Amino acid sequence: MKPAARNIVLPLVCLAALLLVPVFAIDSYTRHLFIIAFLYAIIASNWNLSLGHCGVFNFGHLTFFGVGVYTAAILAKTLGVNPWIAILASGATAAAAAFLIAAPVARLKGIYVVLVTFAFGQLVMQLVLSQAQITGGAEGMVRIPYLRLGDYSFLKDYKLGYYYAALFLLVVSTLFLLAVVRSPFGKSLKAVRDAEEYAAARGISISRQRVTVLVLSAIFTGIAGGFYAIYLRVASPDVFGFGTLSLALSMVLIGGTGTVYGPIAAALALTFATEALAGIRGLEEARFILIALAMILVLRIAPGGLLGIIEKLDFRDRKPAAPAVARNGP
Amino acid sequence: MSDPIIDVRDATKTFGGLTAVDRVSFTVTRGEIFGIAGPNGSGKSTLFNLMTGIPYGPTNGEVRFNGERIDGRPPHAIARSGLCRTFQKDAEFPDLSAIETLQISAVYSGGQSAGQALENARRAIDRVQFDEARAHMPSSELSVYEKKQLMIASALVSEPSVLMLDEPASGLTKPEIERLDALLVDVNKSGVTILLIEHVLSLLLSVSERLLVLNQGAILAEGLPADVVRDPAVAEAYLGGRD
Repeated sequence: MKPAARNIVLPLVCLAALLLVPVFAIDSYTRHLFIIAFLYAIIASNWNLSLGHCGVFNFGHLTFFGVGVYTAAILAKTLGVNPWIAILASGATAAAAAFLIAAPVARLKGIYVVLVTFAFGQLVMQLVLSQAQITGGAEGMVRIPYLRLGDYSFLKDYKLGYYYAALFLLVVSTLFLLAVVRSPFGKSLKAVRDAEEYAAARGISISRQRVTVLVLSAIFTGIAGGFYAIYLRVASPDVFGFGTLSLALSMVLIGGTGTVYGPIAAALALTFATEALAGIRGLEEARFILIALAMILVLRIAPGGLLGIIEKLDFRDRKPAAPAVARNGP
Repeated sequence: MSDPIIDVRDATKTFGGLTAVDRVSFTVTRGEIFGIAGPNGSGKSTLFNLMTGIPYGPTNGEVRFNGERIDGRPPHAIARSGLCRTFQKDAEFPDLSAIETLQISAVYSGGQSAGQALENARRAIDRVQFDEARAHMPSSELSVYEKKQLMIASALVSEPSVLMLDEPASGLTKPEIERLDALLVDVNKSGVTILLIEHVLSLLLSVSERLLVLNQGAILAEGLPADVVRDPAVAEAYLGGRD
């Protein structure tokens, strides 16, 4: 497949198909699955920015989502802020949380990054549980105000408004990610990931890139969290749970680290796969074991993920035949 | 000495009980090619490391660049100030193409805008004579010689005032070394000061204006290349004693 077809035509065809889905999927359940898949796609693709592109083993990414959830819930329900503004504010608070965690993480490596970011997630969860008068504690918050556009309620028309709003968010998030990874900053992230010393020798600040990438990856993750709270009208500490984290991580790894579209495709596929498996007797809980097995298989066979395989095949087709052409000195 | 660009005073690097570089002092004049030689393990690369802060600075002593102390500065800041190095071992950004590698080097080390950096990257690609496919393939797919060309080009594209080359000729064929020789002279003529660590003595003696020889972390000899190679202590360090 030619790069132009893969990078432009195929995504546009997929987008056109997703725009047409509500014409065929007229029940609210199928649309709900798509909405959740879109939100997972935003979480996974933004996580991939820090994990896949920059190699920061950030296991606190779902914390940014949780911060977004509670920001929107508290602003919209407790403070009476317009839900649209509450969703946008979720991106800002998640970015601020990312900045807080980025400072100690910027100079750490490997397992220490995992430990610190995971501990940060637990810390935020304990904060949510302990501040029950604000967050609802273990009970969470319910009956959060829903979205309206003028007189139109998004609860109407079998979630049609929420479907297009979530898809719009996914499109904007993806365009944002494409702009980031194609910029010199985005390329410097791969340099930092693969050869720190060489990157520093070319003027790239390792710690600054790590802080920046964590903050950037949190913006749309937080917005997705805010949208999730307003859409489901619930904020629950479950969002900090290991189940959500491992499912999102499997989307990143199966789809392909270092690609933008891989985790999005995997998020759509895995959301529907887990839902389909839930309908099979005996697999209600065991479905997550199957997802974990799929993740192990993909990592074993294709460490670059499923989209990574396609890119490698593409490159093999375009690779020049001669071993070396440049033989006349630099 | 006229117009020193680099001044290293009593630079020392210790690792626990081991002293890898021991109170080394020397000065490099603006515009010269300054060679550094020594047997394996004599501290040549460690000297480059502590001068550039990659991955560590000196334990003691000071490094001045254009009169300002740079030891203790972050490595990326040292690179941006115009002191650009290459590495002895193969270094690459495997997922980035040659043109992307050159572009980010020009942006971050050279302080150029993205557009200007891309233009300079294309010019550098022409200079190393990579065809379109090679310019855009992942760097990990390039040959050893092409990777070396790219590493040097990625340093030059940022327009440094000092280029520090750590054994650029290792693993190269004789014709490739001759082309490297011509390149170094060419780069130097454009006003870039060069520090060159090299085991290929023919190259080192051909291009260096002055030579520093290290042995066991300390300076063994310094001076004009012709004088240094005649120094009995240098011959002994390389070939061993007579008894």
